[in-house]
Amino acid sequence: MNNSYESLAQEIVALSSVMSVSGYEARGMDEICRLLGKGFDRVETDAVGNCFLWKYCGRDGAPKILVDTHFDEIGMLVREILTDGFVRLVPIGGLSPSVLQAADVILYGKEAIRGVIVSTPPHLRSADENRLPDCEELLVDTGYPKEELEALLPIGSPVGFAPVYRELLSGRLAGKSFDNKACAAIAAHAISSVPKEKLAGDVVLMLSSYEETSRLGGASAGAFSCTPDYAMVIDVNLATVPDVPKVETVPLGGGLSISVSAATDLNLTRAVQALCKARGIAHTMIAAASSTGTNATSIQLVDGGIPTVDIGLPLRNMHTYNEVIDLSDAEALCSLVEAFVCDREIADRFCGREELPR
Amino acid sequence: MKRYDKDLTLLRELSLLFGPSGCEGEVADTIERALPSLCDSYTRDRMGNLIALIRTGDPEKKQRRKVMISAHMDEVGVMVSELCEDGLLRFDTVGGIDVSVLEGRKITLEGACGKISGVIASKAIHHKERKDRNKPTPMAKLFIDIGARDRAEAEGYVSVGSFGTFDSEFYRFGKDGAFVKGKALDDRMGCAAMISVMSSLMGDRPKADLDLYFCFTVREEIGLSGAKVVAQRIAPELAIVLESTAVADLPDTEDAKRVAELGAGGALSVMDRSTIYDRDFLAFARWIAEEQAIPVQLKKYVSGGNDAGSIHKSGVGVRTLALSVPTRYLHSPACVASVSDYHSVTRLVEAMLRSMTPVLP
Repeated sequence: MNNSYESLAQEIVALSSVMSVSGYEARGMDEICRLLGKGFDRVETDAVGNCFLWKYCGRDGAPKILVDTHFDEIGMLVREILTDGFVRLVPIGGLSPSVLQAADVILYGKEAIRGVIVSTPPHLRSADENRLPDCEELLVDTGYPKEELEALLPIGSPVGFAPVYRELLSGRLAGKSFDNKACAAIAAHAISSVPKEKLAGDVVLMLSSYEETSRLGGASAGAFSCTPDYAMVIDVNLATVPDVPKVETVPLGGGLSISVSAATDLNLTRAVQALCKARGIAHTMIAAASSTGTNATSIQLVDGGIPTVDIGLPLRNMHTYNEVIDLSDAEALCSLVEAFVCDREIADRFCGREELPR
Repeated sequence: MKRYDKDLTLLRELSLLFGPSGCEGEVADTIERALPSLCDSYTRDRMGNLIALIRTGDPEKKQRRKVMISAHMDEVGVMVSELCEDGLLRFDTVGGIDVSVLEGRKITLEGACGKISGVIASKAIHHKERKDRNKPTPMAKLFIDIGARDRAEAEGYVSVGSFGTFDSEFYRFGKDGAFVKGKALDDRMGCAAMISVMSSLMGDRPKADLDLYFCFTVREEIGLSGAKVVAQRIAPELAIVLESTAVADLPDTEDAKRVAELGAGGALSVMDRSTIYDRDFLAFARWIAEEQAIPVQLKKYVSGGNDAGSIHKSGVGVRTLALSVPTRYLHSPACVASVSDYHSVTRLVEAMLRSMTPVLP
């Protein structure tokens, strides 16, 4: 692997391995502080599970810049303890039964135990049986007696995919929860590496909660409490696969994506596009007419309106345990975040609020 | 009695090897390296089968009993069938893999520059229609992504006909690590059991005059072909096939459809889709198990098939027995078996071989 990618890849893998199934983001907080804390001045959390990493520019009255990356991941919860070591699960976030058969999972009860989601072998499947069980009917095989499971795994315990990562060709990585912890790791890397005097304002990286279950969840409350002047929302974006029209996807390896949308700030979007052009950062423009399908929708409607730009990292196999990203895209995103938090022109333009008429 | 492969080092090593049907070289090489100390002599035949002989008793004796013990080295896998312009690969399955366990999987492919990793890519749930979310994605809509940006880059690493297997961790889990999870437990558990038995027999040879042929066979998953030629050449009187069997023991399965139970010992087959087993031999196996207090169960439902199907009909006919480790989620990247069942199978095979006499039971 290219050397310049290596440390970024390691940081992405380390952060993606932290269990943070929606609603359980707080369980990973110590690990987040250990991994990201040293690059920031202050770490705090709020009532709905958001985590804020602040880096101050050291000037009084400086603008506040929000970079949002949701930190929760899709997963499952323990729904029912059955006999012979089987546990029934319920999904958290959009999970397709077709990618869950025979998956390796970890059940985070009083201790973390391993399990395998059941599947039917071809020997026992009848030819006309082309339907998979609903996600709500999925069973996981744990190998513990029922009584012990009842003690070990309270109902509602989170269940996540086992973190196993592989390097593919062309500097691509495969593994779990790059949606959206790859973006969180990249943003943290970028902000940490900028010397504070270069910052255009005080920067807060918000690791927002439960995006996968409710887009109006963590991020809007978080944006309300940190009152930024303007914001960049970074989330993964569906990458090209043969079975989907090209226009609905972004190319993997083509750089980051910038959404043009009626639901985000057009001026900020154009300013960021110009920044990419000026710095030679690879990017694709996408038309996300009425909605970006990300936290941008909710953040920009908070606290009198926050100018928001929506940025995407192309990712294939979204919501599986083998999401694929391209590290050249990661590097492009990293360059943009660095440039964005240092850009004084953007800061001057989007800082401050109009007074209400009195 | 001694517990073989107690810490599962051997099974772990074998499970992680790359060996789809027709491409068993890596498994055969690994086993072959161990064979010099595990038998008196051995051959690797032109098909890739490994045949190892242990002669016990008085080597001068003419009247000897020939017994074949076999397990297959191959596993289910995939094969690249087309390199697409965008660098993605179309593929087919080698052996019976249900399409529902393919989507989203890690794959190891073998090609010009050795092994590389890939992921089976498909349309994300966001692009799937609601009515399709409960259906397995058909083969025509699955692709292997090795990270290549275009066909030319992919051609540097793989070609049409490149073989692949699941890339899956091997680990123990459950209470006290009572279970094991991994790919290719079918039939590396059989291979590992044979190696344990061979090692024990070489340390303490049975007294009876026996020619014990331990056969590690190829291409079982595509139609029992390796064992067929081996059985013809050896022309044994008796054969023991060591296998994995599907179990159908999920909580909502009705009793009548359950095949076997995990933790209740090796499963002896009475009949499956390819063989009706020899009754006397089966009775002998059950008697030895009872005598030595080794847990054993009967396979309760007629399903599956294995190398016995070709062995029992070979030459003038062979009295054949199948002893299987009950295994959940067979032919998936996450097969699950009970460690105690695996050990029971090893013990029962050894006990049977030690109790054989030169005349029929």
